[in-house]
Amino acid sequence: MTITAGELSAILPLLIPALGACLLPLAALDKDQATVKWVRGATFFMALFCLAGGFFYITRLWATGAQPSYGAIRMDRLAQFAGIFVLVAAGLAVLQLWDHLHQEGWVKGETLSLLLFSAVGMILFVAASNLILLFLGLELLSLPLYALTATVRTRAKAFEGGMKYFITGAVAASSFLMGSVLLYGVTGTLEIGALGQALAARNPDPIALAGAALLLMGFLFKISSVPFHQWTPDVYEAAPHPISGFMSVATKGAAVMALLRVLGAGVPAPGSARIQAALALVAVLTLVVGNLAALAQDNIKRMLAYSSISHAGYILLGLVAATPAAYAGVIFYLLSYLVMNMGAFGILTCLGLVGDRTTFDDVKGQGWKRPDLAIAASLCLFGLAGIPPMAGFYGKYMIFKELILQGHVSMAVTGILASLVSVYYYFRLPVALFLEKPTAKAEREASERPAFRASLAGAALLVCGVLVVVIGLFPGTLYLSIASRVVADAFPFLR
Amino acid sequence: MITPWMNTHLLTFLVFAPFLWGALLLLFPERQAPLVKLLAVLGAAGVLAVGAAQLLRGQPDALGTIVLERFHWFSAVGIPVEYHLAADGLNLWLVILTVFLVPLTMLGTWNSLPSRPGTAFALLLMLESGMLGALVAQDLLLFYLFWEAMLLPMYFLIGVWGGAERRYAATKFLLFTLSGSLLWLVALLYTAGKAGSFAPGVMAQAVQALPGKVQGTLFIAFALAFAIKVPLFPLHTWLPDAHTEAPTAGSVILAGVLLKLGSYGFLRFAIPIFPDAARHFSLLLAVLSVAAIIYGALVAMMQTDIKKLVAYSSVSHMGFVMLGIASMTVIGTQGAMLQMLNHGISTGALFILVGMLYDRAHTRRIADFGGVALRMPVFTAFFMIVTLSSIGLPLTNGFAGEFLILNGTYLSGFHWGKAAACAATLGVLFSAAYMLWMVKRVFWGPANPDPESGTAHLHADLDLREIAVLLPLVVLIFWMGIHPQTFLTQSEGQVSRAILQAHAGEVKR
Repeated sequence: MTITAGELSAILPLLIPALGACLLPLAALDKDQATVKWVRGATFFMALFCLAGGFFYITRLWATGAQPSYGAIRMDRLAQFAGIFVLVAAGLAVLQLWDHLHQEGWVKGETLSLLLFSAVGMILFVAASNLILLFLGLELLSLPLYALTATVRTRAKAFEGGMKYFITGAVAASSFLMGSVLLYGVTGTLEIGALGQALAARNPDPIALAGAALLLMGFLFKISSVPFHQWTPDVYEAAPHPISGFMSVATKGAAVMALLRVLGAGVPAPGSARIQAALALVAVLTLVVGNLAALAQDNIKRMLAYSSISHAGYILLGLVAATPAAYAGVIFYLLSYLVMNMGAFGILTCLGLVGDRTTFDDVKGQGWKRPDLAIAASLCLFGLAGIPPMAGFYGKYMIFKELILQGHVSMAVTGILASLVSVYYYFRLPVALFLEKPTAKAEREASERPAFRASLAGAALLVCGVLVVVIGLFPGTLYLSIASRVVADAFPFLR
Repeated sequence: MITPWMNTHLLTFLVFAPFLWGALLLLFPERQAPLVKLLAVLGAAGVLAVGAAQLLRGQPDALGTIVLERFHWFSAVGIPVEYHLAADGLNLWLVILTVFLVPLTMLGTWNSLPSRPGTAFALLLMLESGMLGALVAQDLLLFYLFWEAMLLPMYFLIGVWGGAERRYAATKFLLFTLSGSLLWLVALLYTAGKAGSFAPGVMAQAVQALPGKVQGTLFIAFALAFAIKVPLFPLHTWLPDAHTEAPTAGSVILAGVLLKLGSYGFLRFAIPIFPDAARHFSLLLAVLSVAAIIYGALVAMMQTDIKKLVAYSSVSHMGFVMLGIASMTVIGTQGAMLQMLNHGISTGALFILVGMLYDRAHTRRIADFGGVALRMPVFTAFFMIVTLSSIGLPLTNGFAGEFLILNGTYLSGFHWGKAAACAATLGVLFSAAYMLWMVKRVFWGPANPDPESGTAHLHADLDLREIAVLLPLVVLIFWMGIHPQTFLTQSEGQVSRAILQAHAGEVKR
């Protein structure tokens, strides 16, 4: 069997990080104390290099406008965007991991390998045009994440979180698989496009509806929308900070984009009004639950976890509006969410907070120590709160506007009220950073702890902070050059 | 090189130069604070010089526009957003007031900020950008962006440098104003969706086609956002807290400019876009305005803290502005325009004066003072002048504004006009009562004998810097009182056109 150049270019962005992921554990084998520092550096460099390689190929594809495919892997605009999205998130996570793992005293090569595998799984998840491959992508992205959650094994919570994620994730995966089986049984095909046509051609029957619902459940679990959200805060709290950031951004993003593809092909066709109504209900519940629960948190990571649930709600609102412009709004939203949330989680690493010391009390008054980083993080949080002119405003703007134009004014009002509530908890972090005095306990601990440097994580955070503002100032360019092109090229049926 | 650019991009310069300058100053380390303060004042003074010189020199065209910048910015999701800035009769004096107050405020509070004064001054500059942007923005989404951008610097000014309850006050300020503007955003997007544009003119045409009930709902959403900012009774509760807790600089800017953006929003957007709904709800607006005038005055009378008294007097004075707007007459609206400037100058000056007193005595309780006139005669003279202008003594600015507003309301032709004017006159009376009573207790009579009292801590009268800050304000107070026409001519044409348009639908129906 030979592979043509076109086919190769379709899978190269997947192969390069996958190859790196296979080699990394071998490179990290050397446990000699004298060389361990160099080995560590080399593994991190290698991971970044592989991510950059994948990024390079995928942006080249984007620039040339080629949309090659290999079997059921379709490297179209949507998959290319997902690839860029995931690789950037993974790159930012690797930069932050270097500092965070050193702070935790737990630097292992396997962590990076798992991260790369997960990234590959995410790209595969979006690029798959076949239900089985979709399932493979889902598993490939999930299994490494279960292990990554429990990376710092010395923490009791880490193991618990990993286990919780694994068990709930397994349920979600099996429901996804069961849904695929039912749909296959009804239509006799696994190809998403053919499946959509087959479903459209027949009357809605209960089995197909059940299949679609089960499939949807698998996606909603990964997006962490209500009622499949309970794992989120525990898992995010258990995982290392950069991994939490990566999960909140990349997993959610990949799942949303895969869902876009499936929805776009018309797969939950059986009574699609019913599916749409279910999505609307889920979106509103997600907004309400996520925001209200985030209000009550004292732990920053749990607050960010609940807030990421609420962001799933905004994104789902975009899917409810279901117009090309709304889908483009969702893509734009994801893009800004990437920089904002990676930045928000990044501040924890930059301030050197390890273990369970991630409460608001722990960051009180810390902003004045590194004002540049704290300002960058605050910008990210203002963006998450949707305050203009930060990037986060425009994603919400585009989604709400489409909702209003589609006549869902009450849902837009719900979304806006939710974002008003979110202002309160997002501002708690800048307030703690700048407006409050450090607690005596925190000051004592800070003096006992050895000084830390977080130059890589700091650089990543600064980049995020600058991007939040730049995207906010030039939303139109990004929208036209990326978001609307993704939608226009990947969803020809919408035109 | 620079001059031609400035000629064509004057407004862009005015809006963004303070922000960039402020951002640059943030990079300086804290120990350089004196230098940063100096650079900040120089920057603000530069903006004042350029802005005042260029804007006052400009000749308005037939529609009243003096300077204009306009190009397409972006159009995410179909509706084009324009980068459309303009200075015209409606905002000219407010823009000048803003660029004038910022450097004065900085000078006036030179020594009042105990920690990190450099950062605070940089934030003031950034705030100036937001305010100027909102004032000159002609595209509604652009206006919304600047409107929201004003919140953050003010939030931090109150939250970091404020009094004991600063976090509560800052959060209340933020949540109150945001809750109004977010609902307004829904109405804005809805209207823009119908009109296919964020230009107020296009929106106004599209709104005419909507059923009356929808128009009313949209107008309420717009009005709510602006009324919270004004703040109109009963949405005013954030203001006394914010004013009292904010540092002097924050209070001056809040009273001087920020509140004006609410009433300006009514004049610029809410009424022109929804003229029929505005007429329909004018009674409600007038009732709330009169309530604000009387309620604010009565509550001010009961205050024991000078700053809080001034804060409640703001509620009362802004009630006058809103009454003038609700009258929907040329005279009343012109009065409102003038009263906005008056309030910015008089109340701004009052906050600066109270801040100077507090810097010396470290208390603002009226009972802690007495006989201040004996210790600080120059200060007392300034305070008396500003007090009298705030009360509305003839030949001071306050009189001219209130007179026009009451006149316009009385002659408005609305069935409630005469009653509202009579009731509002009570507010004038009350304001004389609370201000003079406060002045009597603080300044006159024998010196407070208690060695721990505020009066006992007053060792020095105003220095040259402080006099230099107050003098321009006093000059303006008299100028505006004696010759208000200087400040009214620019807006006259535009206001009468707007009022004519607002009443155009009346005849049809």
